[in-house]
Amino acid sequence: MPRVALPTFIILLVCAATAGPARATLMPSGQQPFFGTTDRIRGFDPVQASDVYTVAAISKVYEGLYEFEYLVRPYRVRPLLAESMPEISADRLTYTIHVKKGVRFADDPCFPGGKGRELTAEDFIYSWKRLADTHNRSPRYFNFEGRIVGLDEFRDKSVQQKVDYDKPIEGLRVLDRYTLQILLKAPYPQLTYVLTQAETFAVPREAAEFYGAEFLNHPVGTGPFIVADWRWHNYRIEYVRNPKYHGDTYPTQGEPGDRERGLLVDAGKPLPLLDRVTEYVIADDSTAWLKFLAGDLAMSPISRDNFGAVVTQERELTPELRARGIRLDVALQMATFYVGFNMEDPVVGPNKKLRQALACAVDLKKWVKFYNDRLLPAKGILPPNVEGYDSNAPPAYAFDLERAKRLLTEAGYPDGRDPKTGRRLTLNFDLPQANDPQERQSTDLLAHFFDAIGIELKPSYNNWPEFLKKLERKQCQMYRLGWIVPYPDAINFFDLFYGPNESPGPNESNYKNPEFDKLFEIARVMDDAPERTERFRQMEAIVVRDCPFIFLSHPLSYRLMQPWFKNYKYHDCPYPNSKFYKVDPARMNH
Amino acid sequence: MTAPVLDHVATAAAMPARDTEMAVSLWRTAWRQIRRRRLAMTCLGIIVFYAVVAVYAESVYWYYRLRQETPPYKVVHFEDRFAKPTLQHPLGTDSLGRDVLRQVIQGTRIAFEVGIYTSLIAIPIAVIFGALAGFFGRWVDDLITWVYTVFDSVPYLLFILAIAMVVGKGLFGVCLGIGLTTWVGLCRLIRGEYLKHRDRQYVLAAKSLGVGNLSIIFRHILPNVVHLVIISFSLRFPSAILTEVILSYLGVGVQGEPSWGIMISDAKIRLWQGYWYELGGATVAMFFIVLAFNLFGDALRDALDPKLRTAEAKTA
Amino acid sequence: MLAYIIRRTLYVIPVVIGVALVTFILFNVVGWDAATQMLGRHASKEEIAALRQQLGLTGPKFFNFTAALQGPWWRLFDSQWFHYMKQLATLDFGRSFASNQKISTLMLNGIVPSLVLAVPIFLITLVVSITIAMLAAYYRDTWIDRSIVVASVIGLSVSYLVYIMVAQQVLAYQSGWFPIWGFESAKYLILPVLVGVVSGLGSEVRFFRTVMLDEMYQDYVRTAFAKGCTQNTVLFKHVLKNAMIPVLTSVVLTIPFLYTGNLLLETFFGIPGLGYLNVEAVNSTDYPVIKATVFVGSVLYVIATVITDICYAMVDPRIKLR
Repeated sequence: MPRVALPTFIILLVCAATAGPARATLMPSGQQPFFGTTDRIRGFDPVQASDVYTVAAISKVYEGLYEFEYLVRPYRVRPLLAESMPEISADRLTYTIHVKKGVRFADDPCFPGGKGRELTAEDFIYSWKRLADTHNRSPRYFNFEGRIVGLDEFRDKSVQQKVDYDKPIEGLRVLDRYTLQILLKAPYPQLTYVLTQAETFAVPREAAEFYGAEFLNHPVGTGPFIVADWRWHNYRIEYVRNPKYHGDTYPTQGEPGDRERGLLVDAGKPLPLLDRVTEYVIADDSTAWLKFLAGDLAMSPISRDNFGAVVTQERELTPELRARGIRLDVALQMATFYVGFNMEDPVVGPNKKLRQALACAVDLKKWVKFYNDRLLPAKGILPPNVEGYDSNAPPAYAFDLERAKRLLTEAGYPDGRDPKTGRRLTLNFDLPQANDPQERQSTDLLAHFFDAIGIELKPSYNNWPEFLKKLERKQCQMYRLGWIVPYPDAINFFDLFYGPNESPGPNESNYKNPEFDKLFEIARVMDDAPERTERFRQMEAIVVRDCPFIFLSHPLSYRLMQPWFKNYKYHDCPYPNSKFYKVDPARMNH
Repeated sequence: MTAPVLDHVATAAAMPARDTEMAVSLWRTAWRQIRRRRLAMTCLGIIVFYAVVAVYAESVYWYYRLRQETPPYKVVHFEDRFAKPTLQHPLGTDSLGRDVLRQVIQGTRIAFEVGIYTSLIAIPIAVIFGALAGFFGRWVDDLITWVYTVFDSVPYLLFILAIAMVVGKGLFGVCLGIGLTTWVGLCRLIRGEYLKHRDRQYVLAAKSLGVGNLSIIFRHILPNVVHLVIISFSLRFPSAILTEVILSYLGVGVQGEPSWGIMISDAKIRLWQGYWYELGGATVAMFFIVLAFNLFGDALRDALDPKLRTAEAKTA
Repeated sequence: MLAYIIRRTLYVIPVVIGVALVTFILFNVVGWDAATQMLGRHASKEEIAALRQQLGLTGPKFFNFTAALQGPWWRLFDSQWFHYMKQLATLDFGRSFASNQKISTLMLNGIVPSLVLAVPIFLITLVVSITIAMLAAYYRDTWIDRSIVVASVIGLSVSYLVYIMVAQQVLAYQSGWFPIWGFESAKYLILPVLVGVVSGLGSEVRFFRTVMLDEMYQDYVRTAFAKGCTQNTVLFKHVLKNAMIPVLTSVVLTIPFLYTGNLLLETFFGIPGLGYLNVEAVNSTDYPVIKATVFVGSVLYVIATVITDICYAMVDPRIKLR
């Protein structure tokens, strides 16, 4: 046996050594392929669209009545599967929407003859009933909860038994084949925004019933792409162009400056511009980075550790990267990151001065530097690109150790020690990610800040599901989180502080303030107007004063792009945007 | 060849009144053999050095913990991040300006804690089960054999991950996981030894004298198998350290304190820029202690019971 | 012989039950509340209760005494434990919590990449390490032997992680010889296989060398040399065959572990096998997947031990008499 083994081994070695440059990935010639990254997704069922990656995947295959304009700013809603913007009755309780004619679902064995049928208004009613059906266990029903006449009753019935989808619901009417009508219980100006969300996308009844529990693996939609391969769920998803796409076109309007940046070159062309999109799930940041540098991926964020080597002091790319034609795109995200206090915790909850002391101990300048200036320091819940943000107002809790110590003494903890026990005050801090070095190191920095006023921070690293569970059960004392708006309306930020939204809702800090709640309820039903913006200002002032959060930062999105990757523009709701991307295959091969 | 020597020792233990001059102790012979091998002595020296460092690190940890202050290896020097090695920071600093050398030293402490705690969990289980199974035989043996066959079948790393998932991360979860999955090998060996010793003359003699079973197991036979425990400890220690590194990388390891695994995991992203001090420091520190334990364990095994080299494939 | 085989095979059953018991205790008893995690934050108490019922997490853990007292006696077995046993018997592992996919499908999909990675590593390591071990035996007590020993001990003292990281950095990224990550074609497997072989050589060579040397010092070898056989004949005709028994044990016993996939290699190099699946499951606290993989892995191991023992019995007649 060994006599054969050695030569075999040598041959293998030789083969390996002569394997040659192996960077180019598989690419059928003449096609427009795109390689990106994603994270594990929960399947392609729109009612299960709970995290950004799943939503991005679903948005490639399914569509909704409305979507956001790609290039126009400030963000504006445009009809996608609808003919036009909804007709709203005078009392603002009835919305009439006309569905576009001639839109077909993708071909699939679930249809008779395998050919996709035309989209009708009934499809949306069916899809929204699916969302309400508790049997589908959707985490996204809350946008419709308490809004539409008759839908909550449908939902409650579904808890006990299997509901009949053919029974009509009072608040969701079909006027004719292409027209539907929604009856609201109270004015809901955000409804149009809600109709851009993935959970409202149209699914055909045939597919849902044909595939049953496997529906999440067999998407059948009207979107620009169809799923070509999803054999290994946590490794790769491959999409190809939908040959039956209804032919939405590339936008013709944009912001000033878009034309100069070449974003309107493809104006009016039929979508999608790509033939194939392949997205890998790369768990390890450093591996993804290496792949980008090697030219295997079209786009990449910049991790904190690499920042200094990629971006110079002047916020420009280093010469080596620039020489390769790689471009840098910087944009402000509509998001806020913060440290939250559990207002029901006996130590931090009732003690406003303690919270304020901790807020004053955080040196945001150092924080920003730690993150290589990839974020803007936050002084409130609203980021700068949202109405209601007051750029002139000074931060309420600027870094001031003296003030922090003073507040701490007033809070009852002189020098950070608990007078009853004589020991340092120890606060528990829950985090959502266990094996992220950046999270660990930034937590150590926070601990360093609090150490300066004598308080000890005890971090507890969980993984995401555990962390959510702890929040739901109000088991955290302090926690770290961020809030990214589902759609670009500032009212979303204030969901975090509305009393009835307490855990398990989005108000994880369980903050309750009746004055704030009243303002929120009024602002919620107002249309976008200066009066609403004024209310936003008042609400933010209350929240800053009461300090249920230590506001940390608003992130900047830094993305690197290969020279052959075109038509990218940062968008706060970027989920369907791969239909606008284009690659230049001639420039792809290195 | 060693068997008669063991019998001598055992006989002497069972009848302490006897003259023990003729008994040439197994331990003394082993020690002499090891002392002659330079490599083994060097490794012993390395182990002792590391142990001293670990004790020092432990005392640093407790000193600052009792005084409720932040220990120097955790102090953040923001301005000094990612510094190259200098006299003040012989291995440079990490992403928060913390001294890498100090962290490596603390990593030694964690490594020793992991090694010791896992042994404290695995060895008693193995010894008690093996002794009971080998000595009593019949249904006790069948039951215990069933238990360890079950534990042996479960895929090693997966089982540890599962335990850590359920019991919680951190030192306790890791040590419990490693401990509960590595006791089987030693248990088998001990069971084999007890099966052999059970019918030896000194045991029969003790029984006829009316000595109780438990006493026989632990006072008479156990000293004859202690060498197995020591060898197992010396080989299990490095394997526990290596496993902890992998677990830390997977996010399931020790939390909050700098362990070698966490240092390696943190250092990974900067490799492409050529910054390798954090990775190098932790790897080299780990390499020498693991190597030393492996080589010394081999020497120990050769000295105490050479037959073990191929017994039961992987012992530790 | 037949009696031995039957006896040995029957022993599988209590072991498999034992493994099921271990996984059950770990995940159903010590473990946690599955339904709340699966439904997420906006679920109501009724929904959580309904799902718990669906997943079989309600009711008593082992025996249902209350039901047995009230109704027919066989209701005693209406408990979580027996429900679990029934699922295992029908190979129904349920659905993953993180992705709601059928676990049996996930496992089937993952087996191919895992095997495609693990089998070459296994075969190449086996062949290479036996070759090197024989070299060491051939040149025993010379500098060649000593350097082989030193190299193998050094090899097994370096952490697996370091091998992987250095390989990816130097061989994939900096030199561009191999792809960095992924599973697109055969080329993508070369680097992980290489790393797997090199990192495993240390302990394998050490073990095989010891086995060979032990055989070399046996009396019959001395006799063979005295009779005038050459090194080659002794080595290949006598020693190799006898050394095969411990080698066979260790080899066959690693086979079932091939399937669990090399967790680290797969995660680092992006091979979507069972190891990759497991690490993802741990990261998302996806208990059903881990529960299933632990169980299946154990069963495969048990089957492999039975096969080994039977092979032994066929090869070594002394064992049958035990």
